[in-house]
Amino acid sequence: MILLACPNCGPRNVQEFRYGGEVRQRPDLNTVTPEEWADYVYMRDNPLGVMREWWFHRAGCGLWFIAERHTKTHEIQATYAWSKGPS
Amino acid sequence: MRSETRSRTRRLETAPSEVIDRERVIRFTWQGRLFSAYAGDTIASALAAEGVQTFSRSFKYHRRRGLLCVSGDCPNCLVHVDGEPNVRACRTKVEPGMRVRAQNAWPTLDLDVMAATQLVGRFLPPGFYYKTFKRPRALWPFYEDVLRHAAGLGEVDPDREPGRFDKVYKHADVLVIGGGPAGLRAALAAAQAGAGVLLLEEHEALGGHLRYTTAEVHGHPAHDVARSLAATLSAQANVELMLNTLVFGVYDHGWFGAVQGNRLVKVRAGATVVATGAYEQPLVFENNDLPGIMLGSGVSRLLNLWRVLPGERAVVVSANPRGLQLALDLAQAGCHVTVAEMRAEPEEAPVEALRGHAVEILTGATVVRASGNGHVERVTLAHAGGATREVACDLLALSTGYLPANGLLSQAGAKPVWDEALHEFVPAGLRAGMFAAGEVAGTHTLAEVKREGTLAGLEAARFAGFGGSEADREIERLAVEVAEAQSRRSAWTPGPILAPEQKKDFICLCEDVAQADVRQSIEEGYQSMELLKRYSTIGMGPCQGKMCQMATMRLCAHHNRRPIAETGTTTARPPLRPVSMGALGGRLLEPVRYTPIHTWHVAQGAKMMNAGQWKRPEHYGDPLAEVRAVREAVGLIDVSTLGKMLLHGTQVPELLERLYTNQWRRLGVGRVRYGVMVNDEGVVMDDGVTARLNEHRFYMTTTSGGATTIYEWIEWWLQSGWQVDAGIVNVTELYAAMNLAGPRAREVMASVCSDADLSNEAFPYMTVRQATVAGAPAILMRIGFTGELSYEIHVPAGYGLHVWQALMDAGAAYGIRPFGVEAQRVLRLEKGHIIVGQDTDGLTNPFEAGLGWAVKTAKPDFLGRRALIMESEQGISKRLVGFTMPDGVLPEEGNQIVRAGQGPLGLEIVGRITSARWSPTLGKIIGLCWLPAEMALPGSHFTVRVRGKLLTGRVVETPFYDPEEARLRA
Repeated sequence: MILLACPNCGPRNVQEFRYGGEVRQRPDLNTVTPEEWADYVYMRDNPLGVMREWWFHRAGCGLWFIAERHTKTHEIQATYAWSKGPS
Repeated sequence: MRSETRSRTRRLETAPSEVIDRERVIRFTWQGRLFSAYAGDTIASALAAEGVQTFSRSFKYHRRRGLLCVSGDCPNCLVHVDGEPNVRACRTKVEPGMRVRAQNAWPTLDLDVMAATQLVGRFLPPGFYYKTFKRPRALWPFYEDVLRHAAGLGEVDPDREPGRFDKVYKHADVLVIGGGPAGLRAALAAAQAGAGVLLLEEHEALGGHLRYTTAEVHGHPAHDVARSLAATLSAQANVELMLNTLVFGVYDHGWFGAVQGNRLVKVRAGATVVATGAYEQPLVFENNDLPGIMLGSGVSRLLNLWRVLPGERAVVVSANPRGLQLALDLAQAGCHVTVAEMRAEPEEAPVEALRGHAVEILTGATVVRASGNGHVERVTLAHAGGATREVACDLLALSTGYLPANGLLSQAGAKPVWDEALHEFVPAGLRAGMFAAGEVAGTHTLAEVKREGTLAGLEAARFAGFGGSEADREIERLAVEVAEAQSRRSAWTPGPILAPEQKKDFICLCEDVAQADVRQSIEEGYQSMELLKRYSTIGMGPCQGKMCQMATMRLCAHHNRRPIAETGTTTARPPLRPVSMGALGGRLLEPVRYTPIHTWHVAQGAKMMNAGQWKRPEHYGDPLAEVRAVREAVGLIDVSTLGKMLLHGTQVPELLERLYTNQWRRLGVGRVRYGVMVNDEGVVMDDGVTARLNEHRFYMTTTSGGATTIYEWIEWWLQSGWQVDAGIVNVTELYAAMNLAGPRAREVMASVCSDADLSNEAFPYMTVRQATVAGAPAILMRIGFTGELSYEIHVPAGYGLHVWQALMDAGAAYGIRPFGVEAQRVLRLEKGHIIVGQDTDGLTNPFEAGLGWAVKTAKPDFLGRRALIMESEQGISKRLVGFTMPDGVLPEEGNQIVRAGQGPLGLEIVGRITSARWSPTLGKIIGLCWLPAEMALPGSHFTVRVRGKLLTGRVVETPFYDPEEARLRA
């Protein structure tokens, strides 16, 4: 049971949160090619290493935030709201 | 067949180490016969005291098995107790009236027909089921039946009452796993450093092996030392002790799973000390599984805890001081003892003491063969130089080395390192915050064990943030001492002795795997430990490798001609020991959501149904009559489960424009619009209506099932960079909602609402008004899922029941009926309205579903725009259309639409029915279905497979009822 630190509420059991997928840069819809768009919609990097991913504090404050988690060791290196960026 | 003869086991006189209460006698049955036990006896100790030698039959060859480890780590004593299978007799206390039966033996334990499998052993090598039982194919069902009965261990009684299960959460600064000398010292040190300590001990008392060893500690009996250490610990205020608690799994970030009887214990620990000890290992030699062959620690436990002497003539094979101590204990209890000491130069003092008891000691000796009829009767010892000796005995005790119980460390990713001097794996690569001490770390002498425990406790406390500079200095000092002591450790586990292959020289007792089986598996190519395990099934039985992992690794290394250090172990995964499904399941807690009007529905005798977690009325006895009431008079339905969102801010229209496919910027105050939400793939996600209450306040509804998803979806867009001045509040549970529908609805409304102009001119279709209904503040929307004049009334939840009641009272004069989900399904179907998630799926785009009118691709960026443009350019390949059934047979939702093709039955599937009902309003069957575009023109016929029969349907235009919307807009 991963211990995830909500930027507002502090460390909580991961069951309080909903996973939101890999953080991806939304392409500019005016210039994106069909291949780039398909890549954005369907493809994920799925790294063995640190991944930036979305989490939503569903059983708490309702904050969507980003966690930097190592996909093998589950070490959480940082959590921050999108607006704050990595600190 | 021989019957069970009474062996010469007996109960010894009282001793201070015993755990039995001789004043309390308990009666129980074993195999239908009455036996007596003392309170504190386990099933195993009670039966052993009465001379029982055979406790079970082995899994594959049904060989007789007796007590081996007496600590719950081997498969030999698994029995069936009061309807529960696979109970460890050596770990289960006798209760009055217990009925204990043997397993895996038929017809009796003494006469087991399946023992005949030993005769055909050469046809059952490892992996035999991959090679045999293949032909003829027609016999597969028969083979399956036979093998099913032969496989498996224990019988489940389906009528047995399930137990009560529960769970508890614990939080600790320092978790200590294991209450033996190392664990006790660690807990004490951590507690004195200020940490809150939780100590979990698997057995029923603290002290570990100190409870059953007669060796003295600084002149005091070991069990006394154990008790006083335990008492000191209990007296500490910041220490919590849990006995009979087994930690079975390590998870993330200090999360541990443990089980205490029927209770699951979930622990979050700041730091952990693993002091779980080690498993004594049996030797591998011919007939090493005969009853009467026991681990030395098992004999010690029987002797000292339950005061049972399991034999009169004992041979003790010793590879460390504990073997010699055991030999002395047996001699002092009156046993005739012969010692085969594997070491060339054992300790002098115990040897002297043994000579004083006329015990013969052979040095450099080991056992190479055992024999006897159903029980050990003689053993063959071999000593250095090759000479052999046969010794008659009825007990063979093996104190021949250890396998550290490092399962939890390994689960946490540690990769133990082989220590060539100790012949044991020692911990390495421990996860940060986890510390190991004592026998699990390869240290067996008590003084060193205690020092390691203290060090680990202090280190754990420091990791968790407790201690100080004095503790830091202590840690430094102890670390040096421990490292120095560890470098001087002597081996308590003998080096590998690969005896030549014989028959019935078992490595794995759970699965009856012998040395030849391991060699054969490796020769067939299954060379790595992981493959060897899976192919030969070695280590896959109830003990999960606790008794055999050492021998397996040695043999694997030998046959691969590689050092043990390179051979490695198999991956450790939770649970460490079997955990019941009940404990993992816990209490059956299933949350249920009720609307504010629930009690009224139930009182009316509504048939309630589950809609997700909600309880909703399916109907009130006659759904067709409810449909008629809505069409002819007026009906009322509870729609409180709808998702409801309040959107506020200056840029809400911009937000809606981006979220929905249609246009929102020109939605005036007081107007309502239906919207379709689509995701980046262009797939329909949700639909609902949104009303503009005032310039900066909107009220959005979603489907009941979509409420949470859509709320989180919108929050995500708002919090991740869409620069819009808008906010959302999820008010789904704060508002009750009901829909008053039917030609008389306005009249009913008028009698409960006096502060709004309800005329069609002032309050037309697709508009919203805020007014007072039955005294409650309400949002009223004229929308039309049912196709009749209707008002959807939203009031704060606390008013819900009152307003509902008021409407029912007011409607009585007009023939009002409540209607449920089933009637609503028929009503909406008559209008051709889709239900997202029922008529659409994970691939449906709005064009196919007939919602193209809601898509405004001319808008700048909105969710799904890109995909929708591509879809509209590519054209539609399939369509959702209305249909009827000329033959009058009602199809089931999900039935497949077919045409001639390449599939089985000469058919291919081209579509399916998503909704179908008998319509009382129209007097015929109507529904919605998916068809290929070329087959979807109104008037076309198609074939649908209904319960195996092929029937004909005809495509018709929707809506089926009131296409001009005259009734809706009344």
